[in-house]
Formats: sequence, structure tokens, C-alpha cells
Amino acid sequence: MKLTKARALVLIAFSVPIAIELRTVAGFFNVELPLIAVAVIEFLFLALLFVLYGLYGEGSNAAA
Amino acid sequence: MATARSEHAFVDKFPDEAGVIKATFLVAFVALGIGAFFGLIQALHRTNVVRVIDSADYYTMLTGHGVLLAIVFTIFFLCGVFHWATARSLDRPAESKLFSWAWVGLMLTGTILATVAILGGLVPSLGMSADVLFTFYAPLQAHPIFYIGLAMFIVGTWLAGADWFLSYRAWRKDNADERIPLQAFMVLTTMIMWYISTLGVAVSVVFFLIPWSLGLIESVNPLLTRTLFWYFGHPIVYFWLMPAYLMWYTVLPKLAGGRLFSDPLARVVFVLFLLLSTPVGIHHQYLDPGIAEGFKFIAMTNTMFLLLPSLLTAFTVVASVEHGARQRGGEGYLRWLGALPWRDPAFTGMALAGAMFAAGGFSGMINAGMNINYLIHNTLWVPGHFHLTVGTAVALTMMAGSYWLVPQVTGTKLYSRPIGLLQVIMWFVGMVFMSNAMHRAGLAGIPRRTAEPQYQNFEFLTPIGSIFELRVQIALGGTLLFLSVVLFLFNILLTSLGEESERPVDAYLPEPLSGPEGSPRILDNLAMWTGIAALLVVLAYTLPLAGIIQNGGGLFGGGLPVPATVSAGLDFVLMTVTSAFNTLLGVVA
Repeated sequence: MKLTKARALVLIAFSVPIAIELRTVAGFFNVELPLIAVAVIEFLFLALLFVLYGLYGEGSNAAA
Repeated sequence: MATARSEHAFVDKFPDEAGVIKATFLVAFVALGIGAFFGLIQALHRTNVVRVIDSADYYTMLTGHGVLLAIVFTIFFLCGVFHWATARSLDRPAESKLFSWAWVGLMLTGTILATVAILGGLVPSLGMSADVLFTFYAPLQAHPIFYIGLAMFIVGTWLAGADWFLSYRAWRKDNADERIPLQAFMVLTTMIMWYISTLGVAVSVVFFLIPWSLGLIESVNPLLTRTLFWYFGHPIVYFWLMPAYLMWYTVLPKLAGGRLFSDPLARVVFVLFLLLSTPVGIHHQYLDPGIAEGFKFIAMTNTMFLLLPSLLTAFTVVASVEHGARQRGGEGYLRWLGALPWRDPAFTGMALAGAMFAAGGFSGMINAGMNINYLIHNTLWVPGHFHLTVGTAVALTMMAGSYWLVPQVTGTKLYSRPIGLLQVIMWFVGMVFMSNAMHRAGLAGIPRRTAEPQYQNFEFLTPIGSIFELRVQIALGGTLLFLSVVLFLFNILLTSLGEESERPVDAYLPEPLSGPEGSPRILDNLAMWTGIAALLVVLAYTLPLAGIIQNGGGLFGGGLPVPATVSAGLDFVLMTVTSAFNTLLGVVA
């Protein structure tokens, strides 16, 4: 399955509430996650998505 | 070109109806633009990011934001959708073009009057204001033309409903044994609910608020006007939601590539909303003194029943969308999600709106519970909730649906699908930031309906993160939402100015997988459902209203319902008689 721009955008959109609530979920396990950690995790997710788009995106030859 | 198009395009088949719908959409979108601008100013003001207005003017902005978005945008848009759905599903034009334009004109006149009264608050020299917020009950008082405008607006919606019932009556004459087409059924049941529920606000406005604002009566019974407002103020939520449901049930499955899962289930859902949405308004008044706890408990249980049609909807719509995905080659337990048409802003916007509505439903259950409600009642949690429901489930569905509906009534193609897609994603992200922060701020106890939420010598605390972060989230969310509206209006404006197309959009709606023949005929007995809905209202409201009138100082609060002018005259007579009597006593003594 190709990672289209539209699918990538929707994935980014859904990553926002997950990132925002990450600290709450971590709090359930008594883990105090600082805001900067959440920002880094979100940044890493976006970087991964960018790489995947390069590999499996609309312009690539690879097909999942 | 028009001849080639006429098989497909609504605008060629029903040109007069398309004109009416275009007018309603135009008013809706102008209100959306102004209301969103007011929302941006409020978000930046309250969070102390940018303050361009006096805090006193915040309440004018808040009223404008609430009235223009929650009443004008939503209801004008739904009138357009219902006019489209009635003509399309009954396959006939309205009975009278003049009558259709009459209700548009009446609603528009009412809107202008109410808006002028609200904006008058920004110009103190006018001596006119309506800083009463969207919840326009006593003791806050607005200029009379605000209430008169609202009354005209409501009567306009009644006439709109009459327009659709007249179409139905004419259709029924020609189709005596047919089942009511699903979209028409949805329109008619929603309008019956609206007629029943607006009686409360009509009585409040016409008999109490207008005479009070004109000075004809001295006082009103505040609890009575609050109760009459919420009698209408909760069902209006379903008046907003039903056009969104109509689109989720009948348009979204088609956009997903499939068909509605079950027509009978959709009918049951709309009948349940007709029956259950009105006798629940007292759940907005858990903190009001003067209403017995028992009545509040009954309202709470009635409210919980309302979860049933919402959950049925979640099941039916998701099943329909999954069916569509599998028709497009989707497989697996979850991988079918990837097969959906995410490039289409109409689909993506409606799907994201539905997903956010689930979150709004959960926070609504918190609001509905009597004990938990006490914790969050007057906090920012509540605006967080309704920004998920009316602000996303309804507004985002309406914007996304416009990308599919507007080309049908203008005959032009959508200007830009990528801009549309970016717009709906931006709305989703903006609302995640804003509503999440509002819910969290509510849990921290930050109040709502105030320009200055801070208190001296007091600090709000959050279990995770800081209040500063929440403020930043609200400001960021509000900004993204406003930019999203700008993109939407830009896209729609250029769409309507575009060249006519042979096939502006694929307007065909496929038959449901399970059709109306599978549902009992009694579901189409609108008279019977109306009677039962009215009976439930009588059961839920008679005793509480009697108690409010009896214990709250009568209909007009201050004792006997004596008009102010009469009261002044009586005072004069009484003073004269007393004075004469005292003089007489003096003479005798």
C-alpha cells in the first residue's frame, strides 16, 4: 500500500492527540514525561513518516 | 452543456431549490467567517496572548461568536441541506417558490436584527447591546430587537419546516403506499422535534423577554426563563447534529465507496432522537436551586438513554464505511482503513468529525452525570465539550459536506481538493489542541464565560503539565481553527466563481444494503411518534414547571403578573389615596 500525501496528513493529524495525551498515559504508570520528551517523540514520528514517504510514497517504485 | 449535465446535477433538475440553497449557504458562510474571527479574538484575549479589545467587549464577542456560529451558521446551513435532501429524496420541487424565499427572508431579517443588537454593544453611544451570551435567559437582558430578531428567526425555521411538510404531503398524495424516502424521513422527524422543542424558547421570548426588555413588565421569573431556554437548549444540539447524521448516514458511505449498512436502523435512530431529545433539558440545571433533585435525576436517566441512538449511529456508520473500504479492495481487521478515499476532503472531513464526536460523546456523559457534573459545571470543560460536538462533529461535517454539496447547487467543480484536505486536517488538529486544553483547564477549575479567568492570591494547578501550556494550546488551537475557516471560505468562494462543469460531482447516492422494506411500517407513522414525543415532554416538564412557577414568585417572578405600566399606575393611585387619607386624619385630629 502506497503512503500517499493524504494518508500521511491523516497520520500526522492522529499523531497530535496521541502526543498530547502521552504524558497522561505515562502518568498512569507513575512516569513523569517532560514536555520536551513529547516534542522529541513527535519529531521522531514525523521524521519516520518522512522516511517512509520517501521509501513507499507516491513517487517511489517500492510497493508495500 | 446544461443538457448533458441535467441527468446528474441538482442545479439543473431543481434550479429554484438550488437558488434557495445557495442563499442559505451564503448566509451560513458569512456568519461562519465573522463568528470565527470573534472566536480568534476571544482565544487570544482569554489566554492573554494578544489583547486587542477591552475585557468588557469580550462578552459582546462571546455572544456574537455563540449566536453567529451555533445558531446562524448551523441552522442556515441545515436549512440548505434539508431543502436539498427533501427535493432530492422526494424527487420533486417545493410547492411554492415564493414560500421558500419567504422563510429565507424572515430568517435573514431576524439574523440581521439580532446581529445589529449584538454588535451595537461595541458602540456604546448607540445605547444598544445584547451581551447576554448564547444562553440568552434572564437575569441578563438584551435590547428588544435582539429578542425580536431571534423570534423572527425561529418563526422562519418553522416556515421552512412547513415547506418540507407541504412537499411531503404532495408526494404522499402521489405515492400512497410508498415508504417515506430515508432523507425525507430524517428531515421530517428532525423538524417535528424542532417544533416541539422551540415552543419553550418561543414562550420565553414572546411572553417574558420581549415584554421585559420593552419595559412592559417589571420582572421575570429567572428560573422559569432558564428552564424554558434549556427545554429548547438541549434539543437544539440534536437540531445541529441531525443534518450531520443525515450526511453521515446517506453521503459518507457513498464517498467511502459503499452503501448504507441499514436503512431501518437509521430510521430507528431518528425516531429515538425525536422521542428522547426534548425531555432532558433539566440536565443543564443540576446546579440551579428551585428544581427538586428527583426531577434532575429523571433528566439524567433520560439523557443516558440518548446514548443508545448515538451508539447505534457509530455502529451503522462505521459498518457502512468499512463496507465501502472493502469494496475498494481493503482487507484485514484494520488495514481496510488504508483503502478509504483520504484524498477526498469531503470524506476525510466527515470521518474526522465522526471520530472527534466519539470523544465529545464521552465528555457529554460526564456532563450528564449529576455528581460529576458538579465538578465541571461552570468550568472551561463545558466549552471544551461543545467545541467537540457542535464545533467539530457538526461544523466540520458541514464544511466537509460543502465540498460535495456546493458543486451540486452551483454546477461548478470544487476549486481545490488539496486545499480542502489541508483545511479539514487543520480543523482537526486545531480542535485537538483547543478542546483538549479546555477540558484539562476545566478539571483544574478554570471558569468559563469570563474574560479574566485568573483570581488574585489563587493558583490553578494541573496534575500534568502547566496552566501556561494549556493557554498556549488554546491560543494555538484557536489560531489554527481561524486559518482553517479562511481556507474553507477561500476554497468555496473560488468554487462558486468557477466555470460550469458538465459533471461537477458524482451526486448519485446508492441504495442501502438493507432497505426500508426490512423495517416495520409503524416507523413511518409520524403522527403517532409526535404524540408520544409530546406525551414524554408533558411527563418530564409539567411538575417541574409547576414547582418553578409556584415557588419562584409566579410567572413573572416578582409576585403577581402585573405589567410595569399598570404597576406604576397602581402605585400612583395608592400613594394618592394614602396621602388623602393621611390628610383627612390630620384634619380630623
